[in-house]
Amino acid sequence: MAERKVSVESEVGLHARPAATFVQTAAKAPFDVTVAKAGGQPVSAKSILSVLALDVRQGESIVISAEGEGADEVLDRLAEIAAAS
Amino acid sequence: MSGSAVGLAAVPDPVFSQAMVGPGTAIDPERAPGQAVAPITGTIVKLHPHAYVVVGADGRGVLVHLGIDTVQLRGEGFRLLAAEGDHVEAGQPVVGWNPAEIEAGGRSPICPVVALDASAESISDVASGRIVVGDELFQWS
Repeated sequence: MAERKVSVESEVGLHARPAATFVQTAAKAPFDVTVAKAGGQPVSAKSILSVLALDVRQGESIVISAEGEGADEVLDRLAEIAAAS
Repeated sequence: MSGSAVGLAAVPDPVFSQAMVGPGTAIDPERAPGQAVAPITGTIVKLHPHAYVVVGADGRGVLVHLGIDTVQLRGEGFRLLAAEGDHVEAGQPVVGWNPAEIEAGGRSPICPVVALDASAESISDVASGRIVVGDELFQWS
């Protein structure tokens, strides 16, 4: 299982555009991708409902996890989206 | 709320107009004090002053976003009429606001109503034109 821990830097948190881009990118992966708040329960990173309900605010850390061929590339891209301000 | 169903393409924010968040429609609200209501019967899983998500018994969620870039208002001008975690009936008031004030502040008061995790094909019978509270906006099969 590969994972990335990143701090969300967007002013709106993981909502609106960052959330939509994040979910669209995760949805393209042929394997499960999850996202959790640090220490929290993971939810599907492919579900906009789950990501919006997770309610990640600016400055909060998230852990993105995936397992499968190409997982590192997908996680790198997701980490980049989440960390963008 | 009452107003005019104008479709997501009319929303001045590509996140919504390109249906990145999901398919649905948008309401151009009457410029008068009003109430945004629950689009479906279910639980308010997320409630911000400017946006909320209601999830039905079948697990499907609908997002209502009150105006564009309204997160920047940090709740000013919005009055919560329900609480996160509440069970609400379709049509029950969730947030009180005044679209005219939003517009006077330089922001669009247009309200995307979006089916979350839905495919574009699953949405049909999308309303257009004049609508009042309680009118059906679209069917989600």
